[in-house]
Amino acid sequence: MFDKDYLEKIKLEKEKWEEKIKGSKERDAKFVTDSEIPIKKLYTPLDVKGDYLDKVNFPGQEPYTRGVYPTMYRGKLWTMRLFSGHGTPEETNLRWKYLYENGETGFSAAVDALTFNGIDPTNSDAAPEVGTSGVPLYCIDSLFALTEDIPIDKISVALVVEPFTTAPVCAMYFNMAKMRGYDIKNLMGTTQNDILTMTVGYIPYKNSPPNHLLRIACDFIEWTVAQKNVPKWHPINFTGYNYREGGIDAVQELGFVFASACSHIDNLLERGWKIDDFVGRLAFHLAAHKDFFEEIAKYRAARRIWYKLMKDKYGVKDPKNLGFRFHVQTAGSSLTAQLPLINIVRTAIQGLEANIGGCQSLHTNSYDEAICLPSEEAALVALRTQQVIADETRITNTIDPLAGSYYVEWLTDEVEERVWKYMDKIQKVGSIDKALSSGWLYKEMRDAFHKRRVRSEKGEEITLGVNKYQVPYDTVTDVFRTSQKAIDIEVARINKLKARRDNAKLEKILDKLRSVCEKEENVMPIIMEATKEGATVGEICDIYREIWGIWEPPLAI
Amino acid sequence: MSEKKIRVLMSKPGIDGHWRGGIVVSRAIRDAGMELIFGGFQNAKQIVESAIQEDVDVLGLSIHSGAHFAYTKQVIDLLKEKGVFNDILILVGGVIPAQDFTKLKEMGVANIYGPGSMTNDIVEFIKTHLKK
Repeated sequence: MFDKDYLEKIKLEKEKWEEKIKGSKERDAKFVTDSEIPIKKLYTPLDVKGDYLDKVNFPGQEPYTRGVYPTMYRGKLWTMRLFSGHGTPEETNLRWKYLYENGETGFSAAVDALTFNGIDPTNSDAAPEVGTSGVPLYCIDSLFALTEDIPIDKISVALVVEPFTTAPVCAMYFNMAKMRGYDIKNLMGTTQNDILTMTVGYIPYKNSPPNHLLRIACDFIEWTVAQKNVPKWHPINFTGYNYREGGIDAVQELGFVFASACSHIDNLLERGWKIDDFVGRLAFHLAAHKDFFEEIAKYRAARRIWYKLMKDKYGVKDPKNLGFRFHVQTAGSSLTAQLPLINIVRTAIQGLEANIGGCQSLHTNSYDEAICLPSEEAALVALRTQQVIADETRITNTIDPLAGSYYVEWLTDEVEERVWKYMDKIQKVGSIDKALSSGWLYKEMRDAFHKRRVRSEKGEEITLGVNKYQVPYDTVTDVFRTSQKAIDIEVARINKLKARRDNAKLEKILDKLRSVCEKEENVMPIIMEATKEGATVGEICDIYREIWGIWEPPLAI
Repeated sequence: MSEKKIRVLMSKPGIDGHWRGGIVVSRAIRDAGMELIFGGFQNAKQIVESAIQEDVDVLGLSIHSGAHFAYTKQVIDLLKEKGVFNDILILVGGVIPAQDFTKLKEMGVANIYGPGSMTNDIVEFIKTHLKK
């Protein structure tokens, strides 16, 4: 990117400078990034390789390093979308409205463990978890309660459910919207529908085997976008965030995400669709972790990698389908139960990474994240944190402000190169469902867990309050608790629905679902019918279990 | 004659899938030379059955869902019913607010390990607090 003769001159001057500082002592520390990329003490034009127009170029232009849109935040700020849900749909609805009144610009439903796993609250093994880690969405009535008085035609809603329950929960949402008089062709929103979240991010409780999960994830992409039933929906959100939280590094995060995306694309191409029929609606969700510059380099590298994959591997024609659009969540695993107020500082810095890196949407964590579900006050502080970045810091004045930094350009190249290598490694194992069923991904996760523990215990990874400036847990924070009545409320909701619905008619529809599952046809049309007639999420998932079996993940310790 | 290895059962009551904590502690326990039985998802009945069958000295419950009181009570009630409560050291780990530690201890939990706990502290505690 620089004149050759001038680079020679810089090289000579650099050698002189190095001679001058030779022998000066450095701190006893490892100068590496979080993913262990060795970092030099100084970067200069000598480290920036390649041609500007080829590698960096302008925003909204190939290879999209500087951003997917020509104007980025000068045109439109990112969406402020807080992941939120607790207790009952009614309680969550109140929290959503509170955040909306305070400037939130997108919703995101955190569901409870029963909704995640397709278990009804009548199951006594699971009942204590009704509403404890998210909102319970077990039947269509729950969706009406969740969105009451919320203009779902104007504001986008993210439904954070995974392949095992994507079809029933989203079908309930679409049916609810139809009954309210909306045309679902205009609905905006996202379904997470990410196979890796419920397999390696969390471990699944009585879900079906990965090959079926991959197929039903693709059924949803096919039905919403390729077949144009809900064409403005994002039918999948590859959520590197959730496994990054487990301890893998930035390079692995992108490796997992892109390998998974390729497996889904391949599945849809095998069904006879063309890449441009669906690929523009695929979305991504990445983490903003502790290593400030590495995360920014990661976002920039991700855009370039996606562009190359789409252009070179899949031959995308429409330029709109070449851009890597992503949501970011700050790192929950970086927060501590000790010194919880420091979490506000951590989150602010991580939010800044995401915005400097050009994200389309952002969730900032609440400072009580390591202790309990977010209290109202903590959620508001989290929202205000990104509003400070948006309204007070002026970082939005210009696009991709760190481009041209010798260090950031070098690190972007370095992350990109390592991700390509890691993707090759995954692809040698096979498609993403095989990487799961063979246990390969579980070993990667296990190694990451172990590495983090050792680093933390050796003090190589410092966490204030935990392994430096240790303090006991803080008991001052007001712990937010969900309603103890949630179980009764949700069981009553299901019983009321069951009393109202035409059980004979529903039985026939569920029988049809059995046959659709056996023949491995697209499950969406019949699940739209079943949920409209009042089938619960648990009832539908029980049919999956009956036909496809229950999968025990090959966990590694 | 070699000393009998300490036997530890690690279980996840309920259905919440946050698994990192349980695996990290399991690995540390195994690395410390103890016998680790990984129960994974188990309900109270399965946990107590495994604990008796495997003749464990320590039971670790990994709970991240916020439902720690309900699940811990179910397990402890059943351990008492089967007459083995006094033989087994019970530890709970996960996202547990510090406010709840006292009540869990009153219920019969020997110690609680929240986020950021050091695994060597857990190993040390086990070695010095065995019930039998």
